Amino acid sequence: MEKGLDQVGALPGVGGSFVCDNKGDVIVSSDPAVLATVTMNTIGREVGRAFVALDAAKRPAQRLDFVYNSWRLLAQDMGDAVFFVVCQPEVDMAMVRMTVEVVVAGWRKDSSAQKRLQRHRAERTALVSRATLDQGSWSSWTVIASRG
Amino acid sequence: MAEGLTGSLAQLPLVDLLKMLAAGGQSGRLELTSGLDQGDIYLVKGELVHAECDMQVGDAAFARLVTWPNGQFRFEGHVPPPDKTIEKPLDRLLTEAARAASEREAVRRVVPNMDVVPRMARKSPGPSVTVSAADWEVLATVDGVLSAAELARAWGVEELEFAKLLYRMKLNGMVEMAVVQQAAPQQRTPAGPAFFTALNTAVAGALGPLAEIIIDDAVEDLGFTRATFPRDAVASLAERISGEIREPDKRVKFQQTMLQMLRGSQQAA
Repeated sequence: MEKGLDQVGALPGVGGSFVCDNKGDVIVSSDPAVLATVTMNTIGREVGRAFVALDAAKRPAQRLDFVYNSWRLLAQDMGDAVFFVVCQPEVDMAMVRMTVEVVVAGWRKDSSAQKRLQRHRAERTALVSRATLDQGSWSSWTVIASRG
Repeated sequence: MAEGLTGSLAQLPLVDLLKMLAAGGQSGRLELTSGLDQGDIYLVKGELVHAECDMQVGDAAFARLVTWPNGQFRFEGHVPPPDKTIEKPLDRLLTEAARAASEREAVRRVVPNMDVVPRMARKSPGPSVTVSAADWEVLATVDGVLSAAELARAWGVEELEFAKLLYRMKLNGMVEMAVVQQAAPQQRTPAGPAFFTALNTAVAGALGPLAEIIIDDAVEDLGFTRATFPRDAVASLAERISGEIREPDKRVKFQQTMLQMLRGSQQAA
């Protein structure tokens, strides 16, 4: 999987990348890591929840692109995990998206990558429960789920 | 022997390839492609006689081609050169190209781009300064307002030549590079017909005979024509077309081909 991250990291305007499982644990990260582990955990968990929410709202997405003033974050859903790419704002995102698709396709055919992903397998829906969400988030979730 | 020889410049660098062809006394055309760029070198009995790349020919074209870090080559034997623009032997051309590349890199470190605004150094480089008449005239126009590109235009010299002059003056302590101006919007380089030929082949491999129509539709959707389509939008075009490819394996293969072209183009630039 590291080779895939290197491939993405070689693109102009890409700072680094990482893959988180559905609990937010980092499965693999570019070296040196582009963000602190705790930050990657949080991003992984919250974006995983966002994918669940979009799915529940009947607006399923395979990819989310978060644009900020000084950076940009692409999240590619892989089902059992999410692939994140941290970029500069002016990055050629079309090139990043295509590279990510190629890398993810490669991982699907790579047994060692599949084994690593399977070891971290967790149902994403488990992220969304009364026990794991604060009161406000739970209220939002119930609204989304009821309208879905 | 070398007729129909094809390969990758990453595996067989151009310098080694040329030495091999020259040693074998080969005649013909060496076609080179790197991403969206292409060029030709012609040999007659192992001697380089002509090179063309973009709008350049001769030594200048050769100097550009040898900087390509990767790409593809194809040697077709017994193709006569359309012109004779190179007189120097291969070894000398390579030495000159290496020297020019090294010089460009040294200049680039001091004058990173032509948007820099040179100004006269605030501190004198020494207790007494000797300035040549030519430098004096240039120095008189270096006002801390005009960019290097504007000054080059005002002096009617090539940007690279003016950058070299600034480099020398900076080393002598006469000028310093002041604030970098906001880069003016650059004219967008067109992707060119060679790109569309390669794209057509890639799309046809994935989508069959409708390739031309699909490409034209995607180009139009992005607000361009083939003639005006800019290089910096090639990734967007490739992504848009890849969205039309339903078979996952074919889509990934197409994306890989396009990414290879794009990477080659960026490295060559």
